[in-house]
Amino acid sequence: MSEPLPRNTAPPTPELMDELHDLTCNLRNALERFRFDSRLNDLAEKEMPDARQRLQHVLELTDAAAHRTLDLVEQSGPAAERTARSAADLLGVWARFRSRQISPEEFRTLLTRMDGFLGSARADSDIVRANLAEVLLAQGYQDLTGQIIRGVMTLVEEVERSLAELTRLARGEASSSATTVIAPHVVRASGPAVPGVDPKDTIVSGQQDVDDLLSDLGM
Amino acid sequence: MKFLVVDDYSTMRRIVKNLLHDLGYAQVQEADDGNTALPMLKAGAFDFLITDWNMPGMPGLDLLKAVRSDDRLAKLPVLMLTAEAKREQIVEAAQAGVNGYVIKPFTAATLKEKIDKILESRASA
Repeated sequence: MSEPLPRNTAPPTPELMDELHDLTCNLRNALERFRFDSRLNDLAEKEMPDARQRLQHVLELTDAAAHRTLDLVEQSGPAAERTARSAADLLGVWARFRSRQISPEEFRTLLTRMDGFLGSARADSDIVRANLAEVLLAQGYQDLTGQIIRGVMTLVEEVERSLAELTRLARGEASSSATTVIAPHVVRASGPAVPGVDPKDTIVSGQQDVDDLLSDLGM
Repeated sequence: MKFLVVDDYSTMRRIVKNLLHDLGYAQVQEADDGNTALPMLKAGAFDFLITDWNMPGMPGLDLLKAVRSDDRLAKLPVLMLTAEAKREQIVEAAQAGVNGYVIKPFTAATLKEKIDKILESRASA
């Protein structure tokens, strides 16, 4: 059995209190700096490269949407042009038919041409209409890229705050409470999945994957 | 059939509105987040809600939960139209009572298929 240590019943001296205060401050600063350094490491090693990949994905999405739109416009132009040219060709014969200046032979030819025109005009209009619907959907890139860019902007703001804090700490100043909140930005909604950034096993690959998952859940 | 389309991006609202018009649904109103949508849903007789998830203010999941917890709105068909692709999020939306989940980017055919499926299951219920 060891003897209990004698209790020091003397009140703490002001010097001791000052030292304790300094020690506490130093410990708190060290902890803050440690937390801050860890966050900076995360930012530099993981989140900045991720942000670069996210912006790369934005470039790819905008590029794909622009090309998709241009392709559809290029496909629609000839279809509309074909309809306009065929209508213009028929107008002359049609005018003569209306003024009863057409032979029976020409009339039979007109009927055949009119049949062809109505068929092709309908087919071409369907093409243009379907292409317009696709052009509409291609504009969805603005929503997707907007969400990604907004995420990167949040990161840039955090880096800016962190660098300001780093400068302050380097000057030996106490950190200000307004800038010490350096925690990862936690959001339940994280925006579009980005290839190479989001782990494949945690995200769905497309609508079929969503349908399968919901089906497994009984929906 | 009256639709409410909720998305913070006006481009996406216009896209969905146009697609709904093409499908023959002429009555479509818009809101830019859950906070704007909820009073509209409570005030207007909407038959179908299409909502994004990731929105400032009230996100789509919170809107879905608010709808399901409101006696008058609880049975409203809700289709989530979102880029949120995490499996756990889809499970969470399903548990919160979503009727359909369409991932962006999507096709007009997918949107039609999911709306039809929801309306058919409502009709046979």
